[in-house]
Amino acid sequence: VGVLIGRSELVNLHPAARRGLFLLIPVAAFLALGSQVPHFLDLSNLLNVARQSSITGICAVGMTFVIVIKGIDLSLAGLLAFCPMIGGILMLAGIDPPTSMAVGMLAGIILGLFNGLMVSKLAVPAFITTLVVGQIGQGLALTMNGGSSIGGFPERFVFIGNGALAGVPLSDLLLLAFLMLGFFIQRFTALGNHIYALGGNEAVLRQEGLSAARLQFFVFGFSGFCAAVSGLLLSAQLDTVHPTQGDAYQLDAIAACIIGGVDLAGGRGSVPMAVVGALVIGCLRNVLNLLGIHPFMQNVFIGSIIIVIVYLSGTIHRHSELATRGTL
Amino acid sequence: MSARDDIRANNGPGESEEPPAEASTASLNRPSRITYGGFLDLVGRNVAPTIFLSLVVLASLFVKNFADVDNAAVILKQSAIPAIAVIGMTMVLMTGGIDLSLGYVVGLASIVSGILANTWAWPAPAVLAAVLVLGLGLGLCNGLITQFMRVPAFIATLGTGYVFYGVAQIVSQGSNINRLPKDFLAIGRTPMLGLPSAVFLALGVAVVFHVLISRTIFGRQLEAFGLGARAAALSGVPNARINVTVYALCATLAALSGLLFTIRVNAAQPNMGGGPFTFEVVTGAIVGGASLFGGVGSVVNSILGVLSIKIIENCINLIGVNYNLYLAVQGMIILVAIVVGNLSNRRA
Repeated sequence: VGVLIGRSELVNLHPAARRGLFLLIPVAAFLALGSQVPHFLDLSNLLNVARQSSITGICAVGMTFVIVIKGIDLSLAGLLAFCPMIGGILMLAGIDPPTSMAVGMLAGIILGLFNGLMVSKLAVPAFITTLVVGQIGQGLALTMNGGSSIGGFPERFVFIGNGALAGVPLSDLLLLAFLMLGFFIQRFTALGNHIYALGGNEAVLRQEGLSAARLQFFVFGFSGFCAAVSGLLLSAQLDTVHPTQGDAYQLDAIAACIIGGVDLAGGRGSVPMAVVGALVIGCLRNVLNLLGIHPFMQNVFIGSIIIVIVYLSGTIHRHSELATRGTL
Repeated sequence: MSARDDIRANNGPGESEEPPAEASTASLNRPSRITYGGFLDLVGRNVAPTIFLSLVVLASLFVKNFADVDNAAVILKQSAIPAIAVIGMTMVLMTGGIDLSLGYVVGLASIVSGILANTWAWPAPAVLAAVLVLGLGLGLCNGLITQFMRVPAFIATLGTGYVFYGVAQIVSQGSNINRLPKDFLAIGRTPMLGLPSAVFLALGVAVVFHVLISRTIFGRQLEAFGLGARAAALSGVPNARINVTVYALCATLAALSGLLFTIRVNAAQPNMGGGPFTFEVVTGAIVGGASLFGGVGSVVNSILGVLSIKIIENCINLIGVNYNLYLAVQGMIILVAIVVGNLSNRRA
């Protein structure tokens, strides 16, 4: 396969065209599936898919920035349980939902900033510090309520997860808001530029006299924030906080970014495409559900897809680098 | 350095109590081992044994019922299984990679061994052999993906981990297999010197792999590859073969620990091991001084690392704190271990 890609014209494509190609695959798959699977293209089903994808999608927004700076955030599984657990316990203690949610989000930001601290100041690899912080969050989420789930939250909170505005679920609107926020930072702010510089060519950043550490703090803190928000949203959708509710979303969030063309080698990837990736995963899981395929089998699919795409994009890059150096 | 000292020197009367800048830099530049003498040097070179011994002393002093022969036997029994797995993880860490699928290999090995031993009624040696071959196959997948498809280790093994987990769940059809045959249980439960045979099995594996890593050409090549792949390749080290072999051995040992785990709890469960087990094993290796950046690792120290965290787990149980706190405590231990390791490397 590698040889095939190397010889094809794929490597010479304009970046925009290559991005289009990445879009083409999900759209084609979408239409093909739609024509084959009954009820898939029903509006109610599609809105439902988008609602289910919102959790993965919001995580993917934060994850995109992390992967762009050559990191990875493996703390999602823990944060998706820990932050809503804090918020949920506060809400059940009678504190009003906005304050409780703010505390939950703050917890996510603090743990994210802690990841940033470990990566920037103490040179700990991102995958290990985030793995550890995730485990700590998971452990605390389990400890706080003795390993069992909590539920029965105020109606206002549950409405965020299940309500709709003019027929569109609030979850989808929240996803859209995060997409726009991420896209805005990425495309229209100096901060976004610097983040891409950090991932693509750190030497440039240093020449400009910019601090990598501050960017790393922001990126991991933002990812923690996204994780906290999507964890709270998940709990609002289910009206429950389960201490291991985040497990399913860790792989999906990474897969969403990778399917959306965010490059593990850093410097490349866009927020909207990562959200498209999340929708692709949502469709995939939905279709597999409609076909009656077990969730565990779905994990087998998604795990394999990640490996194959990382392999393919790595191969494409190596060949395009060789091509630009003129040795191919 | 000098610019910062200038700032400090110019800070004015507020800091006049501090020693002059020249003196402070002089003491910083002097290597600590000369300043503090032989004892700290000894500790610095033997971090894992020091942690282990101080934990034993502290726990004996402060935790009721800890210093007890039965309790020591419990800790050894519980450590045997992660001790086998940590050997493989240490080798993988020595290459600079990581195997996040380890815990899921344990689960898959568990359910497969249960099916072979119970449903298919295979004799115990055949089950053992089949499970080891299964582990070898899974490890080869990991190794080939990381080496030849050039997928970073953590993402490759994260992906395969989900695949293995899914396969284990599908194979088990969602249920555990209990009441395994006696000859199968005998592999890990035969009492010897008051301890189950699993402990001695772990000891045997540890001796073999200690020799393999510290006394053979393979061990040398592994170390060279971990310290610098390019230099190793130029010196004729077969990097690709080493890398694939290490993942294969790691999963084989993980499969063995899955089998022994199954025997210990007398139930084959697809959920066995999983993320928490992987995490425990990585923690053990890191506390044992293995470097995440490759090149550094020792079987003995990693096993001492596992014993150390098992002592902490044991104390959490004895004190009667919520057991779920163990995950969080482990996380903090691993972070401290990594940070201390990084800082001491930076100073050296």
